[in-house]
Amino acid sequence: MSTKVVIKQSTYFDSVSLMSLSTKANQIEGVEQAVIAMGTEMNKEVLRNVGLLTPELEGAKTSDLMIVVKAATDELCESAFLQIEELFKNKGAAKGTSDIKYPTIDSAAKSIPEANLAVISVNGAYAAREARKALDNDLHVMLFSDNVSIEDEIALKQYAHEKGLLVMGPDCGTAIIGNVALCFGNSVRRGNIGIVGASGTGSQEVSVRIHDFGGGITQLIGTGGRDLSEQVGGIMMLDGMKALDEDEATKVIVLISKPPAPSVEKKVLDQIKLCKKPVVVYFIGGTEESVVAAGGHFAKTSKEAALKAVVLAGADESTINKRALNIPLVEEIRAKLTPEQKYIRGLFCGGTLCDEAMYIAMDKFDNVYSNIQKNPDYKLKDLHVSKEHTFLDLGDDDFTNGKPHPMIDPSTRIARFLQEAKDPEVGVIVMDFILGFGSHEDPVGVMLPAIIEAKELAAKEGRHLEILGYVLGTDLDSPKIEDQVNKLMEAGVTIASSSTNVGLLSREFVVKGA
Amino acid sequence: MRIHHARSGDLDWINQLQHTTFHGYVHSVFDRTINVESIENGELYTLACQHLDNAPNTMLIDMDRFSELAITVNDMVYADQRIVHIGDQLSIAMDQVTTWECQLPFFPNDIESVIDHLALTKEIIEQRGKCGGMKPDLTRSSIFEQETSRLLSERSLMLQEALLQHRVSDALRHAAGLIGLGPGLTPSGDDFLVGLLSTFHMENSLGRIYLGFGEKIVDVARTLTNEISYTALKQASKGRVRESITRLLHSITCGKQEELILSLDKVLNIGSSSGTDIVYGIVCGLEINIKAGGTVCPQKLSLNKARISILCP
Repeated sequence: MSTKVVIKQSTYFDSVSLMSLSTKANQIEGVEQAVIAMGTEMNKEVLRNVGLLTPELEGAKTSDLMIVVKAATDELCESAFLQIEELFKNKGAAKGTSDIKYPTIDSAAKSIPEANLAVISVNGAYAAREARKALDNDLHVMLFSDNVSIEDEIALKQYAHEKGLLVMGPDCGTAIIGNVALCFGNSVRRGNIGIVGASGTGSQEVSVRIHDFGGGITQLIGTGGRDLSEQVGGIMMLDGMKALDEDEATKVIVLISKPPAPSVEKKVLDQIKLCKKPVVVYFIGGTEESVVAAGGHFAKTSKEAALKAVVLAGADESTINKRALNIPLVEEIRAKLTPEQKYIRGLFCGGTLCDEAMYIAMDKFDNVYSNIQKNPDYKLKDLHVSKEHTFLDLGDDDFTNGKPHPMIDPSTRIARFLQEAKDPEVGVIVMDFILGFGSHEDPVGVMLPAIIEAKELAAKEGRHLEILGYVLGTDLDSPKIEDQVNKLMEAGVTIASSSTNVGLLSREFVVKGA
Repeated sequence: MRIHHARSGDLDWINQLQHTTFHGYVHSVFDRTINVESIENGELYTLACQHLDNAPNTMLIDMDRFSELAITVNDMVYADQRIVHIGDQLSIAMDQVTTWECQLPFFPNDIESVIDHLALTKEIIEQRGKCGGMKPDLTRSSIFEQETSRLLSERSLMLQEALLQHRVSDALRHAAGLIGLGPGLTPSGDDFLVGLLSTFHMENSLGRIYLGFGEKIVDVARTLTNEISYTALKQASKGRVRESITRLLHSITCGKQEELILSLDKVLNIGSSSGTDIVYGIVCGLEINIKAGGTVCPQKLSLNKARISILCP
């Protein structure tokens, strides 16, 4: 057994970073123990008690950061330390400016003349100014920053429109441009379907389903969630549609959004009439008539949107595995649940995934509560306490104010999951696990101990705890979707094959008297 | 050079800045706070982003993050009565600043609702408190974390017993065993003591007999923990804690249940496990108060005996 220590003198990291670093260090392969803590006498006492104190650590001061790693061999220790150093660098990089190669957009544009797109992720207060600079340099913009005023958004989009450029955002988390996923996105096959989406995980879901059905993507253009509001007027949705209509590689266009403002919906429908290519419209919770009247193809669910797009793009529908609902499974789960276990609890990282599952549940139940419910009567009053059927978008500002998104830091969801698992009225707990660029490196792995604990607790109490998981990703993503799914199944989690099926299965599991 | 505005600040510090000179240097830089060490008195002061809460020795600035500024440790800081200058990166105008003063609530004579609120507080900690410090992580912790939790639990209980029995020198020894103990920038033991000390300063509180105990803790803390955590302990020993803690104390002692839930959430969200550790200290302090008050009001205590059992981590 080998122990290696490093003392970083006068080094301060905030508590959240320290705890996160410590947790990650302990997860490094081959590490038996890793400790990252301030060099106080009491922490040294703890190290002494557990046999990790070395003479070198005795000299650490209260302002020093102690890093201790114990592993089977010197090589493993050394390797773990290199990885820990990398973690420290990443933490530093997140807070500092050392990784910025070009200090300004102007200098970046001059240095890389072939660049035609800028991804902007600065504080919202400065984001509009930087986006304008990018547009001045004839760059399309993906604006990841939020807290940009609606006035700035309108001005930027109008300016971009005049210049024939795109402004994807603000608060745009997903795009795939030229087969490169930006911010949060999945590895999908290149193909002939273009997507314009005003919702991040909704766009991810449709792109992934298209890939699963054998299709592929030309471009996925994000617009930001406010684009289809009355004020912004859908400027980028309309420009995105036009761009895809003119793009030779694109044969079918898919639109994804929450229902637009009525005046914007009219503009979008008018644009559909002008499009030379078929347009599939998935407006979550939207209605069919107007879309069909405009010559569009209406989709009620994300899965239906993907399937219609793939078929319209030329696939033979009879050869597609549509991932039909497993009806015997529904019967099997119903039989396991007691009459008291009648509620769904959805704990989602993806807002649109939450929305879709919620809308599907609302088809059968009235008592569906959420932090993102449109109906104020069913908006959760106390976000920390679920009521009847509850669907939580844990990535919403309600839960992320001052904290990382749950796709990056799962601690909020773990705590809530354990809370829900103790409720004897819960029939099924639903969770999404999102793979791809920008996401957690092992979203299933970090939840597994809690899942196992909850299952054991329920078993002790003589009840079945049904957990329904959905892994959003493709076979090209990292980590491997197959490994993530297998881990869940080994822990007794039922797997849904799509966001749509998440909603349908969870709903059917708890329908009583069916 | 960027110019920003101070939104609000600790009354004492704002007075000092506006009426005397201030010279110092940057002690430490975080995403949302910058600590500045005063050359005049050696104390730490904090510049914080606007969405954080008011706190002793702290000024809130109309910014969301500091990370995009190239402010580094040892950058010079000085104030000229209207503007605070941080190196050549940031100037903070104080023309619109409002002042904040830490005001702890009275401890009420009728302790019935305090007892109810403490019971609810404990329920919520059980549900939502963050593990890793005073609240042990029973399933996923390392040997280091397990041992830390064991010592935190053991020493906080011994401290509580010593205080209840007025064995001040024993209490001081157990408190010293908590200082600097635990993960995080502000170790869990320090956070627990901050919560505990805040309750001793409430007017009408029987815990006020322990004010001297708080001062002695600060004397021993100087070499046992880092400067940032020491500053919080020192301020707490004077009854000066951050706004979210004062609100929580208000809610527990004289607020409504809905207020309590909201203010408790604010505190639980501090740091990683810091907020939870602070609440453990507050619960401990208030329960000492109630138990001590039991000699005055024995009937009420015995009626509620089950509900005021000491919160054991």
